[in-house]
Amino acid sequence: MNVAVTTQPKRKPSFSDWLKTLTFYELLVGMKATLTHLLNYKPITLQYPHEKRLLPDNYRGMLALLRYDDGTEKCVGCDLCEAACPSRVIRVVSGEVPGEPTKRYSKEYYMDMTRCLFCGLCVDACPVDALGMTREFEWAVYDKRQLHLNKQQLLAIGDRSFPVREKRLELQHPNVAFFNVTFKHLPQKEN
Amino acid sequence: MEIGLRLAVSLAQIAAVMGVVMLTVMVLTLAERKVLGWMQDRMGPMEVGPYGVLQPIADGLKLFFKEDIIPAGANKFLFTLAPILALVPAMIGFAVIPFGPSLTIELFGMQIKPFVISDINIGILYILAFASIGAYGIILGGWSSNSKYSLLGGLRSAAQVISYELNVGLAIVGVILLSGSLSLVKITEAQAGGFWNWFVIAMPFPQIFAFVVYVISSVAETNRVPFDLPEAESELVAGFFTEYSGMRFAFFFIAEYANMILVSCVAAALFLGGWNAPYPGTILGHIGLDSLAWIENVVWFAAKVYFFLFLFFWLRATLPRLRYDQLMRFGWKVMLPIALGNIVLTAIAAYFFPR
Repeated sequence: MNVAVTTQPKRKPSFSDWLKTLTFYELLVGMKATLTHLLNYKPITLQYPHEKRLLPDNYRGMLALLRYDDGTEKCVGCDLCEAACPSRVIRVVSGEVPGEPTKRYSKEYYMDMTRCLFCGLCVDACPVDALGMTREFEWAVYDKRQLHLNKQQLLAIGDRSFPVREKRLELQHPNVAFFNVTFKHLPQKEN
Repeated sequence: MEIGLRLAVSLAQIAAVMGVVMLTVMVLTLAERKVLGWMQDRMGPMEVGPYGVLQPIADGLKLFFKEDIIPAGANKFLFTLAPILALVPAMIGFAVIPFGPSLTIELFGMQIKPFVISDINIGILYILAFASIGAYGIILGGWSSNSKYSLLGGLRSAAQVISYELNVGLAIVGVILLSGSLSLVKITEAQAGGFWNWFVIAMPFPQIFAFVVYVISSVAETNRVPFDLPEAESELVAGFFTEYSGMRFAFFFIAEYANMILVSCVAAALFLGGWNAPYPGTILGHIGLDSLAWIENVVWFAAKVYFFLFLFFWLRATLPRLRYDQLMRFGWKVMLPIALGNIVLTAIAAYFFPR
């Protein structure tokens, strides 16, 4: 694109320019603006600890682990969240469910929230929707070790933020994603 | 006995004036933040007390209990002296300000003027002289802190205060030519009898140019926005009081606000008729309550002073800071010629049309 650089030719100051300089016209315009704001006083301040703004529906706050409605953990220990996390917040130690060799669960689950950037990629990556983002954001602490969360703490956050829990997958509509679920109506593989 | 009584009465007057000034400083610290907030669609302090009205007390307590730090390498004597040198001249100027009508009352067989501590015949000169000493407090505070920001702030302040004090002095000369006295009481009395007698528009030569020069220069002299280069927070952290903390900082802070009140009082007394109402006499006097007329006069004086103080806040909310060379050019090449021309014209007018 051809941009023509034009410089304003220096014109002789007219009488009105001279008068404006003499009477501080530009300053008076600015002072009128501030006085108008003083007279039509409509503050946009929100007195934060006393009043809080409405958060949007897709707000991405503190991470939490979820449970099914029968109280069992959703997490199947697949490590996909750990792989998806760009800042290596999550560490999962996966293990077999005792007595059920086809099922796995997370023996230990750690989150280092000092590093989390709340991108939500772990929530997207989870195949069983075991992770959720709550609307909590007041997580300022005096000791940053309090932000290294273990599985129990994450489950507790999920319990207090998501009181309505999902049913187990096999009880839901068969079109939903399945993973690590035995379907009673399908014949078991023999091996 | 006589001199002891006189001393006691004087001390009582001083205590009353100091109390009012300190109270006004407290009100101003809150009012400035509130007015600035309202002008910028904010609320200002809201936490301490209802609508934040107790904020000055909280600030004062905080400053009082803060640790008093003297930086390593600072000149201890001057570092301690500077806040006092800044505060005392700002306070001492109120001794000659007439707050109300110059009536005299008899008390224990003494003549007492209740609304002025001492009516000396060189009042305005006295204020100018002590305002110059106030500059030493700022410069020494900047120099003795052993900090580059403080030093730069002090240097800027030295140049700025000295060049604008000149303009203040020259702007006042026109008023002195018209009134024929340096005493603030006499100057105020010369403007009695309606707003057309106020020196800002009084015949034979209205001092409107001197008034504008005085207001602009007094803003510069008190180091307020838009002339706050000595304490430009975006360039010099806090300027000359960067290294100060606790009560020493509070002294500088109080001195700034006391200076604002002082220049507002002087502007009101010199140009806007002081305690005179904008109509002849007083309403309370006209309806026969002569003994209460002083209330109306004091209220008018307070209203004028608070108008100027509001102007300070208003300017601060509106205008950006000047560059240093612009500041100096404006002071020496614009303000000074206007003030000098005003003196010449006023002198001619006062010679041909003596009041």
